[in-house]
Amino acid sequence: MKSRSTKKKPVKETVSLKIELPNVPDIELVALEGLDRLARHMGIAEAKTGEAKLLVTEAIINGLEHSGSKNPNVRVEFTMTKTDLVIFVRDYGKGFEPSSIEEPDIRSKVTSKSKRGWGLKVMKSMSDDFRIESTTRGTKITIRKLLR
Amino acid sequence: MEQQFSLTSEIRNNRLIIATSGYVNNVGGEAIAKEFTRHFQKGTKQVVINLAKSKVVNSIGMSFLIEIIEQLEEAGGKLVFAELDPAVEKMLAIMGLFTFAGKEPTVEDAL
Repeated sequence: MKSRSTKKKPVKETVSLKIELPNVPDIELVALEGLDRLARHMGIAEAKTGEAKLLVTEAIINGLEHSGSKNPNVRVEFTMTKTDLVIFVRDYGKGFEPSSIEEPDIRSKVTSKSKRGWGLKVMKSMSDDFRIESTTRGTKITIRKLLR
Repeated sequence: MEQQFSLTSEIRNNRLIIATSGYVNNVGGEAIAKEFTRHFQKGTKQVVINLAKSKVVNSIGMSFLIEIIEQLEEAGGKLVFAELDPAVEKMLAIMGLFTFAGKEPTVEDAL
C-alpha cells in the first residue's frame, strides 16, 4: 500500500484569478474575497494587501459606473506573485477620454456641489504602475501593486 | 468577506464620536453624513470619526465625508479621524482630507 506523502507541495510562483462581475451592489467584495484567498495561498500577510484591496475596489466601481447597458459587467483578473499583484479590470461601456478628466482638488471640492470624482486620482497615486486604455468598446485598467 | 456596514455614535466631552464597522461605500458614507447632520443640527461642531473597524472603503463613501468637512468649516468646527488603517489613511491623504481634518491614533487622543 502506498503511503501518502506528508511533504507540503511547493506554492506555485504565480497564481491568477479571472472573474466576470455583474453590476449588483457591493459585488466588488466578491473580488476582494478572491484576492484574500490568493494572498493566503501565497503566504502573504494581510497587512501587505490593504492598499491592493482599495485599488481593486476603486477599479471595479469605476468600471461598473462606466459599463454600458448592453453588457453591464466588468471582467476582473488578478495575477499575483509573492511580491506583487497585477490587477486588470475592463468594462464594456462606450469609453471616455482619460486626459479630459480634470484632477480633483480638495480645496475646490469642499465648496463644490459635486464631491465625487476621486477614483482615477486614487488609483494613479496608490499604485506602482497605472495604465488606462479607453475606446468606444470599453475601458481597460491595468494596475501593478507591490505587496510590501 | 468584509462585513456589512454599521455605525454607532455617542457624545463625549461635547464631541460627537461616530464609530463605523464594515465596508464604507456610498451607503455607508451617506449613513455617516446623516448621523453627523442629526447632531450638527443640535449644535455639535466637534466630530471624531473612528474607522478602526473599516479597513475597506471607497472614494465615493469618502466623498460624503467632504460634505461633513464643508459644513464644519462654515460653522467653525473640526473633524478628526481616529484609528485609521494605514491603507485608508493613505487614501484620505491622497484625497487631501487632512488639509481640513485632523487624525489621531486613538479616539482618546482625539478628545
